Amino acid sequence: MPLIEIRNITKDYGDGRGNFDVSLFIEKGEVFGFVGTNGAGKTTLIRQMMGFLKPDSGSAAIGGLDSWNDSAEIKRMVGYIPGEIAFPDAPTGTEFLRRQAELLGLADTSYAESMIGKLQLDPTANLKRMSKGMKQKTAIVAAFMADSEILIMDEPTTGLDPLMRAEFVDILNDEKKKGKTIFMSSHMFEEVEDTCDKVALIKDGKIIAVKATREIKHNQDKVYKIEFLFNEDYRRFIAEAFEFSERREAQNQVLVNVHDNEIDRFTGVLKRYRVKFIAEIKYSLEKYFKSLY
Amino acid sequence: MFSKTIFKQTLRSNWKLWAIFTAIMAVLSALVIVVYDPKMIQSMMDMVKDMPGMADMMGDRMDGMTSLLGMLGQSFYGMQGIILSLIFVIMTANTLVASQVDRGSMAYLLSTPIKRTKVVRTQALYLISSVFCMFMVITVVGLSTIQIAHHGLWGTDYTKDVKAVTEVLNLDKDAVADDLTLILNNEAAVKAGSEARGIKEDVYITYLNQKLSNKAYEAAAEVLGVNADKVSVDLTLIIKNEEALKAAADVMGIESAVYSAQLSQVMATEHTLSAEQSREMQTKFMAGITAAAVVLDVDPGDLATNMGKIKANPTALTAAAQAAALVPAETLPSGTSTEAIVEMNETAFLKIINGQLANDEIALDKGIAFSVKDYLLLNLGVFLLMFAIAGISFLFSCVFNLSKNSLALGAGIPVAFFIFQIMSQVSSSLENFKYLSLNTLFDPDSITGGGTFWPQFAILAALGVALYTIGIKVFKEKDLPL
Repeated sequence: MPLIEIRNITKDYGDGRGNFDVSLFIEKGEVFGFVGTNGAGKTTLIRQMMGFLKPDSGSAAIGGLDSWNDSAEIKRMVGYIPGEIAFPDAPTGTEFLRRQAELLGLADTSYAESMIGKLQLDPTANLKRMSKGMKQKTAIVAAFMADSEILIMDEPTTGLDPLMRAEFVDILNDEKKKGKTIFMSSHMFEEVEDTCDKVALIKDGKIIAVKATREIKHNQDKVYKIEFLFNEDYRRFIAEAFEFSERREAQNQVLVNVHDNEIDRFTGVLKRYRVKFIAEIKYSLEKYFKSLY
Repeated sequence: MFSKTIFKQTLRSNWKLWAIFTAIMAVLSALVIVVYDPKMIQSMMDMVKDMPGMADMMGDRMDGMTSLLGMLGQSFYGMQGIILSLIFVIMTANTLVASQVDRGSMAYLLSTPIKRTKVVRTQALYLISSVFCMFMVITVVGLSTIQIAHHGLWGTDYTKDVKAVTEVLNLDKDAVADDLTLILNNEAAVKAGSEARGIKEDVYITYLNQKLSNKAYEAAAEVLGVNADKVSVDLTLIIKNEEALKAAADVMGIESAVYSAQLSQVMATEHTLSAEQSREMQTKFMAGITAAAVVLDVDPGDLATNMGKIKANPTALTAAAQAAALVPAETLPSGTSTEAIVEMNETAFLKIINGQLANDEIALDKGIAFSVKDYLLLNLGVFLLMFAIAGISFLFSCVFNLSKNSLALGAGIPVAFFIFQIMSQVSSSLENFKYLSLNTLFDPDSITGGGTFWPQFAILAALGVALYTIGIKVFKEKDLPL
């Protein structure tokens, strides 16, 4: 049974905004990415999972409990990073985290401290004057400190610099190794490709595709870009029995689709041409999803 | 039911605002109590009564203002206290829910395993208890101030003269206070008493007599089971009832028959004066005051509030008595000498002055007389009003996700109520505005003046409970953009 079950959820805000018949199933221990442009309905879905919004129809359930009806019970399993950073009134980051631990009924804050160390956060700073990145780090610590088995994060890396983003990815990988289930939304494909097992694409409130990142990484349909030294080679090559996705005569360039089991024939053919360079065009999640748009 | 942790955290982020408002309000109410001077207020009232237009404008409020509680009810509990607690309630109600949802910080409260209803119930509890504690502090500060500034709180309240007389007569304070004839019958006691009060002996005697007869009326009223005011208006009530007559006569220290005769005499003199005549008397008296003012070279208005000055100056008195000519010439036997007429007029004028001064002294006693119960009721009333009004602000704070919307109604409605109430008091043509205002249900005058107020209190309490309940329910079931 999936740990997180979202069944046919619809939350209609009008004007095509909201979620429409969204279904997603996330297994225990899975890292699930949720990608879409701004306003695609990512946050709406997350708010329904957290029990902040009541679905018009359909349901979200975490660990067998209904997100709306048992929302308080669910929070025992869930750590949450909201999409917007707005902290309650507290003088410093430390004080905010202490109060949050109090609300969570947390006696042991050692986990929070190790997170603070990893993120190089100085929580003693004035909470209101923190930079966006510092606030985001504080929010990350607040979500992680209960060491909950499920993490639900709405664009958790906004405001982080590239170095910190890398550090965050490391942290996620550690959490994943501990068997945690992670659900995170993002509008950046590379980020989810690096960390997630599965990625769902949402557009205009509807799920367009769910793809395992493994399939992307181990894709056997490869694309090669070849530039020939002379135009006559180019002309000759395009007559060969390959699938060409693009021909650029002016630059003597072609893009060839080659499945891995054809690679031997491909290299054999290439030997008879004067090649200036050859490069594999990496297949990415972004390319995959763009092809679906 | 409630979350202790959230309550503590809410308290920590909100206590400063509470402390500031509570301090300002406590100081304000204490100031009103300290500056209260019954003598001054009484003279102000006398002045106002002399100006018909003014009296109309003041209307019912005039009667309430002479006592300390009446005065508090008109000022602090009618105006400053209401405005300040209104602002506090509006700000706090919005901060507790709507503003946290608007900013998004509510997400941190709700991403913990604490139920939504519990969160919002705890916020409601904070709001209610902060208002309660606010008036609690104000009440305690107020009572202490009354005790310190007016000594009118604990134990039986003895006037200065009673204390002074006690020493002269070597008697118990209670004995003297209970039987003022003891003073009247002892010259030394009268002297000591008048000195303690800082008034002339003749005024003091008038005062004692008036006070005695008031007490007699009260004793009779008790026997008759009616209000003392009713008795004083219709003295036949006493004369007709033997027991009442005896009780009253006992107070006066005389036989029933003698007292009955006295009462008949009083009634006779009062009845002979028609309304028109008494108005004529009033005009004559004012003419006398004006004449005396010219002699003394002071403002007639000032003099009217300080008639002791006329007594102190024989020339002024003569001038006043002549100008007033209180004794109608046609009633005098022909051939009465001019000196005799002057003397009669002076006596009549003095009598009125003494009566007025004695009245002032009685008002002074009344002003200090202070009912702790009424004061507590006043504070309970204002708390209930604010409880209900906070319910309105809290409801809208729960309903709306945006601060601006929550404030538009959560502040707009209570402020409108306040303005409607003020408008209804300004002019009788706007009186119907009071039906549009919740504030009307807290009426300090009916609390201090013996009107009905419990039903209004019950409505306020019920309304408040309903508003909080609805607010909590709405918040439990609404969508939160967190």
